Amino acid sequence: MKEFTNETIDTDSLPKYEEVQLNPLHKKYWNVMLINIFIFLFVMGIGIATLLVLNANARGYTYVISGIYIVFAFLLIVLYRASLKKRGFAVREKDILYTSGIIALSTTIVPFSRIQHIALDEGLFSRIYGLGELRIFTAGGSSGSLHIPGIEIDNAKSIKELLMKQINEAD
Amino acid sequence: MIAPETNKEYDFSAPRKQSASGIIIMFANSFQKIVRALALPLILIIVKSKDSGNLALILIVFLSLLTIALALFAYFSYQKFTFFLDEKKQEFIINSGIFSKTSLTIQLNKIQQVNINQNLLQQVVGVYSLEIDTAGSEKKEASIKAIDHATATILKQKLLSHDLTENENIDIQTDNQVTGPIQPLLKLSNNTLLKIGITSNYGASLLLLTGFIFGTIQLFKDYTDALEIEREQITQMLSKGVTLFSMCFMAIFALIIILGTNIIRTFLKYFNFKIIKQKGALAISSGLFTHKNVLLTPNKVQLSAYSQNYFQKKFDLLNMKIKQASFDSADKEESKKSDIEIPGCNEQERNEVLNMILSHVPTKGAELKPNYRFIFLQTMIWIVFPISIFVLLSSYALPLLRNYLIMVIPYIIVVGIMLYFEFNRHRLYVDENFIIKKSGIWDVEHEIIEPHKIQAITAKQYFWHKAADVGHLIIHTAAGVIHFKYGNYTHIKSLVNYWSYKIEVSQKDWM
Repeated sequence: MKEFTNETIDTDSLPKYEEVQLNPLHKKYWNVMLINIFIFLFVMGIGIATLLVLNANARGYTYVISGIYIVFAFLLIVLYRASLKKRGFAVREKDILYTSGIIALSTTIVPFSRIQHIALDEGLFSRIYGLGELRIFTAGGSSGSLHIPGIEIDNAKSIKELLMKQINEAD
Repeated sequence: MIAPETNKEYDFSAPRKQSASGIIIMFANSFQKIVRALALPLILIIVKSKDSGNLALILIVFLSLLTIALALFAYFSYQKFTFFLDEKKQEFIINSGIFSKTSLTIQLNKIQQVNINQNLLQQVVGVYSLEIDTAGSEKKEASIKAIDHATATILKQKLLSHDLTENENIDIQTDNQVTGPIQPLLKLSNNTLLKIGITSNYGASLLLLTGFIFGTIQLFKDYTDALEIEREQITQMLSKGVTLFSMCFMAIFALIIILGTNIIRTFLKYFNFKIIKQKGALAISSGLFTHKNVLLTPNKVQLSAYSQNYFQKKFDLLNMKIKQASFDSADKEESKKSDIEIPGCNEQERNEVLNMILSHVPTKGAELKPNYRFIFLQTMIWIVFPISIFVLLSSYALPLLRNYLIMVIPYIIVVGIMLYFEFNRHRLYVDENFIIKKSGIWDVEHEIIEPHKIQAITAKQYFWHKAADVGHLIIHTAAGVIHFKYGNYTHIKSLVNYWSYKIEVSQKDWM
């Protein structure tokens, strides 16, 4: 029972995750995002163009469709830009947290002792800008794992090293 | 049968073979596979070729050769299949394969669960199969197909008691011999099973029934098509016969069938359901034709849940689910298998089982209620949106629908009540040792986890909820996710901080 009184602590004095200073993603990651957005828009544009060419009925709405397309593209870029500003991660003494989201801002915390394994991914476009994606897996499945993109590759490697060390210590 | 065997029989350190009758099982298994693969082509060959004299002979020769080959194969695989327990390295090793050899090594501490099962054939031959479930993202399944019951139980206990000393192992052995008279923690009588059949799992049986009905209709269609019967006559006859009376009759008939299938399913699955306490673990066995036997170690349980609906409450019945780590394996069935269901127990028995798993009976701590916005959004999705579409359609596109406009009122009442219940039952109870989430409309479910089983925590907020200080909480565990919606965000944030603190300070491992 001693442990019990030991563990009743003032919850207000606990470290607050919401006050942690987050590291933003690397500025160059915006370029990677833009490339991805443009590829997506390009593919979509081709789809719309073929529709317009092949379907005579749809041709009457050419201006409406291209108008919607432009608004959509604009919104996509603005939203992603906004989301980039919101994203960030922080490595604390005993856990790692990542914040992301456009319309819903979510923060996920993974304690070091629950990490199963860590992967460092370099995508094709990310590699051009020397960036990497850190993927942290827990036993909580895909919903319980973290994917942190846009970290400078050296930085990502050192974070990975640090986490690995922490995991081994926890064991 | 067990009596003449000495303790030497249970020494697993030297490589052992399966029971000799394993040859039969292996033969049957491969025979079944071959038959399945060859049945269709063979039938085709027989049907296609007209002259039968030579063909029959060839087929008989071919089949007997195949049988001999399979028998040889079964014999050699039996010879080559060995398993042993390396007590020093704490490993269990299975060697198998005639041409290409495989050696499967399982570390004892990675073993999640050991199941002893028996299918129909194994029942006839009198052997059991032993399956080992391991933890880890890579799925390595090991199974021994033919083993006698005494060896299986002892091997199972050896596999699961890796951290016990040799001394205790002997204890278990002697323990095992007296398992018979031990009073089970929970035993379901036929009476209880009947009650369970009546009160639960309507959904699954309904699905089964719909499948059955559609199957019959399809069959009927094929039949009439094939025989070129005037279908119109029959449908006319049918539509004439469909009166209010026959509708009621049909409804009652469907109800009886649902209840009937429910009861039969329950008996098949849970006949002679027993839970026995065994050295700090729970041994669960059940089944009418296929015996299922599972040993559950409490510290591997990730999430326990119990649920109850209105009727079950009247009978003092609870349904329990105990979930272990599933590692969201690609195979859904596979992950379902690690869930253990206790179809019926009363409150006291539930407390006993929970006490066993969680080391004390969970208490409901401070209650968290969702914000009224919870019901607001649900109303939008389930009432406002469909009804406005219905009204719009009936007034502009399909005037025929106008006759049914009156149905909107009962719809609103029924769905409204359901949504109210959903809102009213969406609760989170938090105290030092337990997190309990209550939810459900008809079946009210309580999911219980301990803070140290948490893998990761997410707090989430839509930007338009910022001013109202409303947000969502998602707790990720190895056996699924617990979602609490529309809570007070300040409170949620402090809980997130508290739980991360608890996890990081706690010495308890999650598995």
